[in-house]
Amino acid sequence: MQHVVEASQVVKTFVKKRPVNELVRHPFRRAERVRALRGVDLRVRAGEIFGLLGPNGAGKTTLLKILSCLVLPDSGRAVIGGEDTVHEGRVKPKIGLVHSDERSFYWRLSGRENLRFFSHLYDVPRRKMGARIDELLRRVGMLEDADRRFADYSSGMKQRLAVARALLHDPPILLMDEPTRSLDPASAMSLRSFVREELNGRDGKTVLLATHNLHEAETLCDRVAILVRGKIRRIGTVDEVRRWDVDERRFRLEVDRWPPGFRGPCRVLSEEEGEGLRRVTIALDRDGRLDGVLRALLDSGSAVHACDRIEPDLEEAFSRILEEETEAEATP
Amino acid sequence: MIRSLRKILAFLQRDFLSEVSYRLAFFLQVAGMLLSVAAFYFITKMMNPKTEGLDGIEPFPWVLLGLSFQYYFSTALYAFSAKIRGEQMLGTLEAMLVSPTPTSIVIFSEATWDFAFGAIRVAIYLLFATLVFGVKLYATSLGTLALGVVLTLLSSAGLGILSASFILYFKRGDPVNFFLSAVTTFFGNVFFPSALLPAPIRWVSNFLPIKWSLDVVRGSLLQGKTLRDLRGEILNLAVLTLVLLPLGLFFSRIAIRKAKREGSLVQY
Ligand SMILES: Nc1ncnc2c1ncn2[C@@H]1O[C@H](COP(=O)(O)OP(=O)(O)OP(=O)(O)O)[C@@H](O)[C@H]1O
Ligand SMILES: [Mg+2]
Repeated sequence: MQHVVEASQVVKTFVKKRPVNELVRHPFRRAERVRALRGVDLRVRAGEIFGLLGPNGAGKTTLLKILSCLVLPDSGRAVIGGEDTVHEGRVKPKIGLVHSDERSFYWRLSGRENLRFFSHLYDVPRRKMGARIDELLRRVGMLEDADRRFADYSSGMKQRLAVARALLHDPPILLMDEPTRSLDPASAMSLRSFVREELNGRDGKTVLLATHNLHEAETLCDRVAILVRGKIRRIGTVDEVRRWDVDERRFRLEVDRWPPGFRGPCRVLSEEEGEGLRRVTIALDRDGRLDGVLRALLDSGSAVHACDRIEPDLEEAFSRILEEETEAEATP
Repeated sequence: MIRSLRKILAFLQRDFLSEVSYRLAFFLQVAGMLLSVAAFYFITKMMNPKTEGLDGIEPFPWVLLGLSFQYYFSTALYAFSAKIRGEQMLGTLEAMLVSPTPTSIVIFSEATWDFAFGAIRVAIYLLFATLVFGVKLYATSLGTLALGVVLTLLSSAGLGILSASFILYFKRGDPVNFFLSAVTTFFGNVFFPSALLPAPIRWVSNFLPIKWSLDVVRGSLLQGKTLRDLRGEILNLAVLTLVLLPLGLFFSRIAIRKAKREGSLVQY
């Protein structure tokens, strides 16, 4: 399998800017450092949609900027389409970056004029420029508003224009930093299907997408990595990451009565009452047996109306990692 | 080459489109310029045309050219740093630098509009001076003039990029620009001939491109001097350009690299 984006042992530490009044009061104090990335390894395969998941401040944007030659790593290597990012000239034609920052355009120009300017920078041949811009505007649904000033656009429109810009030179690799952050649910859904069906499905582009929207990662990504405080904690398919470290299976039972003091071969996670039934969620160890639980229930005289398997979701995996992280922090 | 030229023009178009909405500001500016030209007309009436260094040129046209080109130079000084700083705030600097266009072309093109606008200003000054105050301009050595103007443009771009790199690197700059601007005005042969300066400090002006630019422009426009007459001045200007422009671009690379290390290409 060919990897088109590779990061190995990427480390980045930022020096926090110190406000002037502090500089005056403590001129010799060392500036505070932020370890944004602490040895990140990542491999994205050609043609996949890869999700970079992480809470605020995890280092997602920093990693994407390193991959797009906008930030230099302290150490480690980043390779895009076989080219090390130190060779900017060879890397940049291969990537399109969708900034999370919705400014990054000229406010007094229209959307079309903005794209025209950037087409020159992206080496779009002049003969094809007009047609290319129109096609992209149509694909992101901005054709009608193309001649309004950028300043008058809504956040969602700005975001869509940013996607169009990243596609001007038809790069094989797209780096998207929270592309749906300022979109309403319907627009977010349509952007996701645009990425999935057209960019990835039809055009075969590789997409590396940073997000903290777990639902987005679940619906869109082939594989995900969870980045927390500058380190990758999990990496794999969405299913693998969900089930990671989970050695219990969960079921939801609907019973007419839960025998008081029932102690089957399981743990009760929650119980609720509704419509004359009790809904009980239980967890079994990896080798615990469901039939044992059911038999014990039936023996005690309960009637079982339903039994559903519950899959762990990404959200849970995510909060588990965050918990581990806080514990690790508490015990140095 | 052609492609780079197109890119430079794209910057011009971008800023033209941004600025056209400031039409009133433009007209007010022109009105102000005309007033200042008139003021210089009267001030120079007090001057002695036989002053050393005027080289036989009337004081008014001599100062007028100094005034218009000094404006040009200081525009160049401020334009690069102001533009780059503004684009850092807008987030557009990153957007440009992620494109395949080399950083040096992006930096070099930033002030295209300001240069073009500066040229318009110079033209307005000259037009006004000929129409209203009867200044006589020679159109006999336009080639020499053009060469002088191109070198002026490139050398002032070099200075402007140097100062912008300084600001990008140290994140403070106004003193630099102010200093450079004051130095060029004082030593640059702008409002008085540098030949009047005391000998121990007169050498400073030889290192300022504006001095040579003005010698070339005054010589060709006001006295009809030819390339042959002005070859020494043009050579000096060319040498300064060949030093300043590459130096500026070199330092801008260093400054951009530092910004990439600090993650400060975009700023809030
Ligand atoms: N230029 C910079 N100077 C100083 N610190 C920085 C800089 N850029 C990022 N940081 C810090 O590095 C860490 C990682 O930031 P980054 O923007 O990469 O996170 P993120 O995962 O994109 O977060 P978010 O979800 O909020 O966008 C944060 O602690 C941030 O404050
Ligand atoms: Mg971010």
